[in-house]
Amino acid sequence: MNSAAKLRPVLFLVCLLSLSGCTQGDSYPNRPITLVCPWAAGGGTDRVSRQMAFYLEEELGQPVNVINATGGQGVTGHSRGLQAKPDGYTLSMMTLELSMLHWRGLTRLDWTDCAPLMSLNEDPAALFVRGDSKWKTEKELAASVVAEPGGLRASGTAALGAWHLALASWLISFDRTPSDVNWIPSQGANPSLQELLSGDIDIVCCSVPEARALLDAGQVRCLGIMSGREGTPLKLLNLKEIPSLDCELKGWRGLGVAKDTPAEIQETLVAALRRITNGETKVAGKTFPEFMDGEGFDRTSRPTTEFAAFLKKSDETFGELLGRDEFQEVASGPVGRMAFPATAFAMGGVSLLIVLLSGFPQRKLAGAAVSDSAVSTRQEVTTEKISDHNTPNYWLFASVVGSIVLFTLAGEFLGFVLSAGIILAGLSVLLGAKPHIAGLVTVVIVPVIYQLFVYVLRVPLPTGIVWW
Amino acid sequence: MSEAFSTALQNTLSPHVLLVMLVAATYGLFIGAIPGLTATMAVALMVPFTFFLDPVAGIAAIVTMEACCIFAGDIPTTLMRIPGTPSSAAYVDDAYALAKKGLHQKALGVSLVFSVVGGLIGSLVLIAAAPMLAGFASQFSTYEYFWLCVLGLSCAAVVSRGSPVKGLFSLSLGLILACVGLGSAHSLPRLTFGSDKLITGINFVPAMIGLFGVSEVLRNVLSSAPRDELGTTSNRETPTSRNWLSRSVDEVFGGIGTRLRSSVKWILASSGIGAVIGMLPGAGADIAAWVAYAVSKRTAPKENRDEYGQGSLDGIAHATTANNSSLAGAWIPALVLGIPGDSVTAIVIGVLMMKNITPGPGIFEPDNPQLSLVYGIYITFILANLMLIPLGFLAIRAGSLIVKIPCEIILPLILVFCMVGAFAIDGSFFDVQVMLVLGLLGFVLERYGFPLGPVVLGIILGPRLEETFVQNLTKSTSLVAFFERPIAGGLGVLVIVLWATPLILWARKRMVR
Repeated sequence: MNSAAKLRPVLFLVCLLSLSGCTQGDSYPNRPITLVCPWAAGGGTDRVSRQMAFYLEEELGQPVNVINATGGQGVTGHSRGLQAKPDGYTLSMMTLELSMLHWRGLTRLDWTDCAPLMSLNEDPAALFVRGDSKWKTEKELAASVVAEPGGLRASGTAALGAWHLALASWLISFDRTPSDVNWIPSQGANPSLQELLSGDIDIVCCSVPEARALLDAGQVRCLGIMSGREGTPLKLLNLKEIPSLDCELKGWRGLGVAKDTPAEIQETLVAALRRITNGETKVAGKTFPEFMDGEGFDRTSRPTTEFAAFLKKSDETFGELLGRDEFQEVASGPVGRMAFPATAFAMGGVSLLIVLLSGFPQRKLAGAAVSDSAVSTRQEVTTEKISDHNTPNYWLFASVVGSIVLFTLAGEFLGFVLSAGIILAGLSVLLGAKPHIAGLVTVVIVPVIYQLFVYVLRVPLPTGIVWW
Repeated sequence: MSEAFSTALQNTLSPHVLLVMLVAATYGLFIGAIPGLTATMAVALMVPFTFFLDPVAGIAAIVTMEACCIFAGDIPTTLMRIPGTPSSAAYVDDAYALAKKGLHQKALGVSLVFSVVGGLIGSLVLIAAAPMLAGFASQFSTYEYFWLCVLGLSCAAVVSRGSPVKGLFSLSLGLILACVGLGSAHSLPRLTFGSDKLITGINFVPAMIGLFGVSEVLRNVLSSAPRDELGTTSNRETPTSRNWLSRSVDEVFGGIGTRLRSSVKWILASSGIGAVIGMLPGAGADIAAWVAYAVSKRTAPKENRDEYGQGSLDGIAHATTANNSSLAGAWIPALVLGIPGDSVTAIVIGVLMMKNITPGPGIFEPDNPQLSLVYGIYITFILANLMLIPLGFLAIRAGSLIVKIPCEIILPLILVFCMVGAFAIDGSFFDVQVMLVLGLLGFVLERYGFPLGPVVLGIILGPRLEETFVQNLTKSTSLVAFFERPIAGGLGVLVIVLWATPLILWARKRMVR
C-alpha cells in the first residue's frame, strides 16, 4: 500500500474520534470550567480556590477544575485568568496583587481588566513576634524601632510584596521610613515564620490564618492587625483579643472573569456565588461560610459593583504607597539582580572550557571514550547499531519535534482530543505501525486520557472547536 | 495514653478506613506512574474528597497516597527513563540501564522493598522523636538552608555520571534556567527578554519531562534501530511446572533477602539522611535522594563504584530508602509546629485544621482529645508502607506489560503522555514549549556525555539557593557569618570536603604521571 492509501483509514478514524465525547446543550455551563489560582498548591489562596470550586460545581452542575498558574508573583495567574476567552469557562481567583503589580511595572493588567463577580475575603496584615520575645504590645515594638533604626529584621514575603508594604505602612503610621526595619525577602509566610522561630529575624508580617497554628500553640504572638482606626479587634478562641492598629492594609481575594464576558453568564455566576457565600449551598454537610470560619479566614464578601468600588480604592492605596520615594531604594539589596545569573554563567563557562581543553570526548561515530564517562559504553553499542543500519533518521526526529510544535500551536484551537489523536496516529504510522492498529489504539486511548484527566483527575485539558 | 492508642487502633483498623486506604493507594500508584503528575497535585485534588471522610480516614488516605505515589514514580523512571518525581532523577540512569538489560522487574523490586523499609524507618523516627526533632528543625535559618542547598547541588554534580566538571556545567545550566523569571530576592524580571510568558519562570516538571523523556524519545527515533525491547534478555525458558505466581515473585523479589541483610548499615544511614532532610521545611525527597546516592557511591567498595550510573542496584536501593523516609520526616515540623515540611504537608495542615485539629506541641499532650488521631496517623504510616508491598508488586507486574508494547506504538504514546503531563501542571502551552526546548537540550547534553540530573536539581534548588544567599547577605554583609552558626558551619565544611576530594585525587593522579 502506498502512503496515501495508508493514511486514508487513519483520517477516517480521526473523524470518528472527533465525534466521541461531544455533549449536548447550549446553556451555560455545558462543559468543565477552569478556575485559575495564581498561587501555589497548599497556600491560603489555593485552599480557598479549591473549596470554592467544589461549591461552584455543586451549584453549576459542571466540574470546576483548579489550576495553579504560579509565577511572576501573581502576574502569570492573573494574566491567564483575565486574558482568557471571555466565554465564562475560565474563572479567575484574584488577589490583592492585582492592585499592586501594574504599579511595579510588572504587567499592564489592573482591576479594570476584569469583570468583578464577588470578593470572598479580606484578611488584614498582622504583626507577629516570637512567643518568648520581650515585646508584649505594638507600642513596645515601635519604641524599639525608633531606638535602633535598621537594627530589627522582618520578613513575610518577597521584596515589595503585600506584607512588605504592610510593614512599611505601619512604620509610616508613626512617622518612620520603610528602611527603618531591615526586610529579608522570602518566599512567603511559612519560610518567614520558620526564620522567626530560628531566632534569626525579629518580626513577621503576614495574615493571621497563615500563622494560625503557631499562634494557637503560643510559639508566636500577634501584636496587632492592620484593620485601621475604625477596625474591630480580632477575637480568636482561647486567645487574647488582638488589637486593631491605626494603619490599614488588607489582603483580599475574589472571583472575577475576563472583562467582556456576556452579561447573562456573569449573572448566572454571581447568583451562584451569592447562594454559596450566604451559606445556602452545602457540600458534605458544610457550608462555605462554615469552611472559611473553620480555617480562620475572614469572609467579607462584596458582590459586583461593591467589589468594583473596593478594587478601585485598593488600587489607589497601593499606587500611593508604591509611589513614595522610600521604595525606590528599598528595591535594591546588597547583591544586584544579575549577580546570581552572572555567577552561574561564569561557572558554566569555566567548566565548559575545562571540558573542551581536556579533550572533547564524544563524537558520534568514534569508538574512543573518555574513561570517566560512563555513557560512552552505551554510545558504543548504539553507534555500532547505527553503522549496521541506515543513517540516522532525521525525518522522524523532525516529525517528533514538529508534533510537539503542532500541539502547542494548534492545541488550543483543535482541542486535546483532535491534536493528540492526530499526533498519536500519525507518528505511529510513520514509525511503521499498521494504520488500522494505530487508528484503533488512538481511538481508544485518546478519549480515555481525556475523560480520565478532565473528569476523574480534575485536570483541565485544552478544549477546541468541537464541543468538548 | 494507652486508651488513646487502643481507640486509634480500633479506628484505623476498621474496614471503612482500610478500604479508603486501598482506594487512595491505587490512586497514588496511578498518579505516580504518570510522568508530570506530582504527589502535591494528587493531594490537592484529593482534598475535597476528604470532607466526606472522618479525620482518621482522611489523613490515612493522604498518607497512603503519598507513599504509593513516590514509589510509583520509579516505574516510569525504570521503564521509560522519565523520572516520575525529581528524587527519582538521582538513579534514573541506573534504573534504565538495568531495564535495558531486561532486569527492570528486579530493579523495581529492589526499589519497592527498600522504599518500604525507608518508609517504615522514617515512620518510626516520626513516632519516636517528633517533638524533639521539631526543635532541631526550627534551628535551621537561612544560613543552614543555604549550605544544605549547596550540599544537595554539589552531591548531584560530583557523583552523577561523567566527571565532576561536566556535572558542574550541567549544574550551571540548571541554575541559569532557574534565574529566568521573577526572583523573590529582587522581584525584578530577569532573562525574560520582555516576554510575558517567560516571567513565569521555568517550571521543573515540564523541564524534567523534556530533559529525560522527550530527549529519550528523540534519541530512539533518530537511531531508527529498533529500540532494545526491554525484557528480551530475560525471556528464559521457565519450566511449566512452576506456577505463575511464584515465578513472578521470584522475578521481582529474587535475591532481596541477601541484599537487605548486607545493606543494614546503608539502610540506616540512608533513612537517617532522608528523615533529617525531610524534616527540614522546604527541603525534601529530592535533596535526600541525591545526598544518599552520593554517600552510597562514595562509601561503596572500590569494585562496585563503577557500576554507579550503569546499573547499580545499591545506588537505587539507598537513594530510594532516603526519599521514602523523607516523606515521614516532613510530617514532623508539620505536626509539631504547624510549619509544612514539604508541599504535601502544607495541604495536610489545611486539612487538619478543617477537622479542628491544630498542629502544635500541644498535640502530644496526654490530655489532648485529639491524641487518638495522632496515634492514628502513626499507625497509618506503618500500615500504608506495609500495604505498599503487595500493591507495588501488582503495579510492577502491570508496568511490565507496558514493555511488551511494540515501540512504534509506545514511543508516540510516551510523547503524548509527556505533552499532557507538561500541560497539566499549569494548564499552559508554554510549559509544553519548555518541555520541547529542554528535550532538545537534553538530547545534546547526552550526546556529549553531560549528566542531566544536576540540571533538574539546579532548576529546583536554584531559586532557593539565590534567595538564601541574598537573605544572608541582607542580614549581615560579612561572609564569615556564613559559618558562624554551628550547624551552618558544619554543613559548610562538609561541602568544602565534598569538592576538595575529587580535586585532591585529580592532583595526586597528575603528580603520579
